Amino acid sequence: MVSCMTAKQSENPSIVILREGTEDSQGKPQIISNINACQSIVDVVKTTLGPRGMDKLIHQQRSVTISNDGATIIQLLDIVHPAAKTLVDIAKSQDNEVGDGTTSVVLFAGELLNQSKQFIEEGMHPSVIIKGYREAMTKSIDRIRECSIKIAEEEGRRDILKKCAQTSLNSKIISKYKEFFSEMVVQAVEILESDLDKSFIGIKKVTGGSVTDSFLVEGVAFKKTFSYAGFEQQPKKFVNPKICLLNLELELKSEKENAEIRLDSPEDYQKIVDAEWTLIYEKLEKIIASGSQVILSKLPIGDLATQYFADRGLFCAGRVPNDDLLRLAKSTGGVVQTTVNGLTDDVLGTCGVFEEKQLGNERYNFFTQCIGTKSCTIVLRGGADQYIEEAERSLNDAIMIVRRAVKANAVVAGGGAIEMELSRFLREYLRSISGKQQLVINGFAKALEIIPKTLAENSGMDSTDVLNKLRQKHTQDAEDGIWFGVDVINGRCANMYKEFVWEPELVRINVISAATEAACTILSVDQTIKNPKSEQQQAEAAGRLQGTSQQGRPRPQMGRGIRGRGGK
Amino acid sequence: MSLAFDEYGRPFIVIREQDRKKRTKGLEAHKANILAARTVANLMRTSLGPKGMDKMLVSPDGDVIVTNDGATILDKMEVEHQTARLLVELSNSQDNEIGDGTTGVVVLAGALLEQAQKLLDKGIHPLKIADGFEKACDIAVLRINDIQEEVNIEKHDHEFLKKCAITALGSKVVSKCQDLMADIAVKAVLAVADLERRDVNFDHIKIIAKTGGSLEDTSFVTGIILDKDFSHPQMEKEVKDAKVLILTCPFEPPKPKTKHGLEIKSAADYEKLYKMEQDYFTDMVQKVKASGANLVLCQWGFDDEANHLLMHHKLPAVRWVGGVEIELLAMATGARIVPRFEEITPEKLGRAGCVKEISFGTSNDKVILIEECSKTKAVTILIRGGSKTICDEARRCLHDALCVVRNMIKNNNVVGGGGATELACSIAVGKEADKIKGVEQYAVRAFADALEEIPLALAENSGYNPIEYLSKIKKEQNSEGNPFIGVDALNKGTTNMMEQGVVESAASKRNQLELATQVVKMILKIDDVIAPADYE
Repeated sequence: MVSCMTAKQSENPSIVILREGTEDSQGKPQIISNINACQSIVDVVKTTLGPRGMDKLIHQQRSVTISNDGATIIQLLDIVHPAAKTLVDIAKSQDNEVGDGTTSVVLFAGELLNQSKQFIEEGMHPSVIIKGYREAMTKSIDRIRECSIKIAEEEGRRDILKKCAQTSLNSKIISKYKEFFSEMVVQAVEILESDLDKSFIGIKKVTGGSVTDSFLVEGVAFKKTFSYAGFEQQPKKFVNPKICLLNLELELKSEKENAEIRLDSPEDYQKIVDAEWTLIYEKLEKIIASGSQVILSKLPIGDLATQYFADRGLFCAGRVPNDDLLRLAKSTGGVVQTTVNGLTDDVLGTCGVFEEKQLGNERYNFFTQCIGTKSCTIVLRGGADQYIEEAERSLNDAIMIVRRAVKANAVVAGGGAIEMELSRFLREYLRSISGKQQLVINGFAKALEIIPKTLAENSGMDSTDVLNKLRQKHTQDAEDGIWFGVDVINGRCANMYKEFVWEPELVRINVISAATEAACTILSVDQTIKNPKSEQQQAEAAGRLQGTSQQGRPRPQMGRGIRGRGGK
Repeated sequence: MSLAFDEYGRPFIVIREQDRKKRTKGLEAHKANILAARTVANLMRTSLGPKGMDKMLVSPDGDVIVTNDGATILDKMEVEHQTARLLVELSNSQDNEIGDGTTGVVVLAGALLEQAQKLLDKGIHPLKIADGFEKACDIAVLRINDIQEEVNIEKHDHEFLKKCAITALGSKVVSKCQDLMADIAVKAVLAVADLERRDVNFDHIKIIAKTGGSLEDTSFVTGIILDKDFSHPQMEKEVKDAKVLILTCPFEPPKPKTKHGLEIKSAADYEKLYKMEQDYFTDMVQKVKASGANLVLCQWGFDDEANHLLMHHKLPAVRWVGGVEIELLAMATGARIVPRFEEITPEKLGRAGCVKEISFGTSNDKVILIEECSKTKAVTILIRGGSKTICDEARRCLHDALCVVRNMIKNNNVVGGGGATELACSIAVGKEADKIKGVEQYAVRAFADALEEIPLALAENSGYNPIEYLSKIKKEQNSEGNPFIGVDALNKGTTNMMEQGVVESAASKRNQLELATQVVKMILKIDDVIAPADYE
């Protein structure tokens, strides 16, 4: 494929346009090859879909991740193929935008590409396919909006949020405790202000204890910070304390970084020493005068200050992590101060109970019963680090989903029901149009079925059988059939809406639009030019590791590939 | 990893270094993971129970550790396989949360995986197995809640706590003086416990190990032991009714923190400076003397000048005392930490009944013993033992015992030890299994079988014929309905664990079951392992 450099060598001097070693390929084979590459990525994440989806264990250097989250897995795979990277991007964007449905989006994009493969092979122009897909996408999104179930009344709302969280948790390792965690997640999101900034939900991970020992703190909890001598003499429990939040170093130190003092007489020496002590004592006295009982600072609180507070029966902690301090400000109503001047009551926060407690192997500081708190902390427990990590990812997904559901008050049924419905709808629609578009939209409709199909496959059901049943249900029963999907838990087809497998419509809309966009991007590429430098680096790396020199080889990738095959 | 090829037979390099990655998936991955985890669990099996054996571990730099503590063994084995590592972490979590039962939890997880493998061979979906296990775990936990007995813990009632501590120590190398150890553990925990808040901070218990002497010499000190000696060899070696001054500033002329320079222009000025420095020293010692202190503990060093002066004024002093010790000392003696000489007042002094410097055996090792302190909020345990290995193991054992006592204070519900609870749960789960519809029934029953593995291993380690013995006690439990019948590992003649005083905290048991089930689920849920090919 290094055509530009080698062509017409005999007659004319070759015109070198690209640097030597540049690899480019174009045309139909290129599209097909891109599609195949994407396919191999899809194969990896395919089995994670649904409540019976499995986890992947991925090694990188020394660390190991066990996950069920599509976005996490795809990111860890370290994909270098340029076209396949598109899939990484959509999984990421789905993760950032909605937080859940990352496996679905990759799966669907892969299937769209798969469907288009046959069209391309038959000679259809990619742009026709792209046009068809775009049209089908718009129709589908309209249809989702049309048939989604809007929830207006307030009392049912909480229940719906919980159901959405549970649907998201279904496929995760903590699925058994979805009742428990969905309640926690909904409660956490309810505490937030209307902008639903997720950073105000802190998640702390402590090994030891069962996951059911996890709990939600309506306030803040953080690990005991580094402390100086004297700390243990401070009281560890306060009721309704005044809390002073500082961004200030409380330590005996030089006040100005680069100041230098020149002394002429030894008598002045003591004065300077005294002056320094006065400075710090003044600061401490001002804090005492404000009536604060719990003093927290982002910067260190030195041993002098620690002992000073201990003598006066106050609690202090320095080096509090920034996000914890921000959360504290939100939940206690205090304002983070950079000076001790003007510590009035309205900048001091308060909470119901402050306490230091043992949690697993660590001491934790708890600020609980905050009135009007706008932030909260979830303390996750579990048997192994990997377990807690995965639980955190799962909760994160659930939190995102609930946030989305709060914003957009419409839900659709999961379990592949909405995909089946869209598929049916599109099939009906395509009869009204003529031309190639009909075929393409048919392909789109077929691609949609990959979701219920994979769900069924993963749970050990006969996917062909299930799909046939679902298709029949959806065409025959317009009223009830619309929400029929794969009930994985009980191994049958059922009305997923009635089974309470609900998702915010936004998740599905985003899945369809993001996947379509990605598929269209890959289809519209007909030429890839690879920068030779990065190729060479790779080749060199490979050469070093395998003990052979690769330099000077015109087609390094080819060489690597052959050896790779030989090794099999 | 498998490669995909395009039309021209060229492979796709989709993933970085794809040809050097290994991928195992499906049933094969399950089996490999289970096998690895079970191998680890099998290693631990012989360490279970009072007749369980120890393991000797040699670290890369030749240090030898002999231990019976599950968490330590697993930790030091440096397990590489990632699924097996999950079990190591499992044991660690149990250690962090409960501190005891670290072997039991791994053996249970291993037994569960063994059962899971059988079910996998039957073709049951791994997640269905995991679901069944979780269901069974719920039943078992309910059963524990049913059979747990509440015991009353009063500050003066040591007997019961001691019993629990003895159970924890039973399996350890220190069992020959378990009475003493248990006593020490109970005293130490009660000294620092906040019974109202049910909170015990282990930071307040200091454990020091000194090689030499025998385990029986291990002692409990209501105070602090400092691994230091007095700053001047001629100072008094013993102080009665000590008034302790704790300083966090050095015995030196003060220095400003800001960068400074002092310009001396004449000899007279220099004289003056020297004089001032001298004055500082006498002034400092005077201030100390005036407060009435007769022992000085300093976080920093002394100038030789100061050291000499202190000796002359008959003020014994210790220098370079670490920050942690300073804190514990302040807590034990009720002293206030003084940051500079200007702030020394008599109220800030702490009280200790007796302070003395003692040396051990013929070695030059000296420690300062500060005991009979006015407040007993910080205590020390001094471990003695014939060798470093023994001392280290004794320290671990004491840690376990301390944890057990703490757990009792946190939650005073107990269940029978010696496999009695596992057996009771197994019977309950087995009964419930028949009522469950679907494939999970098999998994639930398998869970019941796995639970029996604990009493089975105990009986085996104690030298009984395991199957025969298990069936015997199982029958006894069933016919008498007593959930406290377990393995009489010490041959005391009764299988009733309550009578033997072999009890464990219910929280610990619940934690064991739940943690093991959750980690097993995690292992069962993995069906795809992507690893670098050179990774073994």
